[in-house]
Amino acid sequence: MAAIETFELTKHFESLVAVDRLDLAIDREIFGLLGPNGSGKTTTVKMLTTLLAPTEGDATICGHSVIGDPLAVREQISYVPQDMAVDPKLTGRENVIFFAKVYGVPRPREVADEALAMLDLAPRADDLVRTYSGGMRRRLELAQALVHDPAVLFLDEPTIGLDVAGRKRIWEHITALKDRGMTVFVTTHYMDEADQACDRIGIIDHGRVVATDTPVALKASVCRDIISIRADGSLPDELPGGVAFLGMTDGELRFEADRGDEAGFALSHVLTNAGMTVRSVSVRQPTLDDVFLALVGESDETEAFDDRRFRRMLRRR
Amino acid sequence: MRRMFFYMERDFRRWLRGRANVLSTLILPAAWLIFVGLALPIRFTDNYLDFIAPGILVLTMLGASLQGGSLLMFDKVLGYLQKFLALPAPRESILFGKILFITLRGLIQATVILVIAILLGANFLSPILILSIYAVLFIFGVFLSSVMTTIALKVDDHDSYAAINAMVSMPLFFTSSALMPYDQMPGWLAVIARANPVSYAIDCIRDLQAGIFPAATLLGLLLGAVLVLLMSVTVFRKATV
Repeated sequence: MAAIETFELTKHFESLVAVDRLDLAIDREIFGLLGPNGSGKTTTVKMLTTLLAPTEGDATICGHSVIGDPLAVREQISYVPQDMAVDPKLTGRENVIFFAKVYGVPRPREVADEALAMLDLAPRADDLVRTYSGGMRRRLELAQALVHDPAVLFLDEPTIGLDVAGRKRIWEHITALKDRGMTVFVTTHYMDEADQACDRIGIIDHGRVVATDTPVALKASVCRDIISIRADGSLPDELPGGVAFLGMTDGELRFEADRGDEAGFALSHVLTNAGMTVRSVSVRQPTLDDVFLALVGESDETEAFDDRRFRRMLRRR
Repeated sequence: MRRMFFYMERDFRRWLRGRANVLSTLILPAAWLIFVGLALPIRFTDNYLDFIAPGILVLTMLGASLQGGSLLMFDKVLGYLQKFLALPAPRESILFGKILFITLRGLIQATVILVIAILLGANFLSPILILSIYAVLFIFGVFLSSVMTTIALKVDDHDSYAAINAMVSMPLFFTSSALMPYDQMPGWLAVIARANPVSYAIDCIRDLQAGIFPAATLLGLLLGAVLVLLMSVTVFRKATV
């Protein structure tokens, strides 16, 4: 039994199909759900966290149905929405103790102290949250979410609006949680972060999951590595196995291969042996951006612009 | 049920850390009592302070409840409510926590009024009378804060809540028995006033002042509070965001 399983999970808002027959199985990994605005990411998270009732289908969290036993589901999960809701008038410690008490955790103060220490917030625990940076607030939210040691953690855009250092730190903590055996379900717009941190990725568009796999497999499925070589002389007829010649642009020979680094080295060797003078070799691997654009395209956003969220993001900068 | 106290504690901490909030909460009722109780030229009674003090007490609780509903609106707009609804605590504990905070804050305001009214010469000196007044105000506070918190849960934004607030507050107050007795009102107003829950609370306190136990009025108020509370609990249990 996987920690998160969905069975034809569907949500309609009147005539709009926000999520369309979603089938997923996620267990003890960081699973990233990527998609354009309005593609159904947040609706999916809200159904899995029992905040929205599915129109059709079902989902289970640690074996408990989100429809049949929502209370048992809430016992197993923690949810950090993208709004970054921590009380600025309370201290960091008060914020975490409050959650520990509402979760019904025994010894809430000690547990809160442990969570604050784990998220490197202990030195600032007694400061009012209004003095915290965006990154610290996000870590405080993680501390709140961890006080009852959930089996599954849902993070909706956990790094939105944070600076590079803040984003890096949040992902380090998320990865550490996965290493402890937690299942982490995350939505994000940042492809580079998903590429580095997620074990598997699902790409959702118009409510349908169009691809689910590891970042490496997804990139390999869309296009192969591109090798660019600047060299003088005539191109030999025989190329190393698996390498295809794409053409020449601005004096640069372009090839396609599965493992660009190895193929680039072999190709350079073959060209030199054939009498060519190789001046430079560069390899570009496809990114998740390429995968995303190939699967989803560059269609206009369908969701209305949320100026409240935009203002909040500006305030955090 | 214990969890409602944690929600209430959170709101009290937040309130007490905003000095301007605390100050205005305590000064406003005193201003009402002094300006309305002492300044209006009234002829139907020799002691208008005794007559108006129950009205001001209930008005204060009315204001506290109407203003208090916006607390949930803030929680919703700022994203706290989403997190609370995803917690394993029963969702009605969010409602009960808000009701407790709003009502207790209203009772603190009522205490300021009672103290000033007593200093100005109103007859509220009996401890049993004071305790009974607190009980009536508590029931009324539960009634109205439950309604307003549930409205805040259902409406989309602050503007909608403010519009409903404005639509409810003035008619509730001016069609009640707060400012004049029923026999001084036009007939049509007296009919409305007798059905108004604000009048129920005021009439209870006036009867208690006169040494009468207002069994029927109090029962009506209590039934109203229980009914509204049950409806609010149902709405909160089904809440989605």
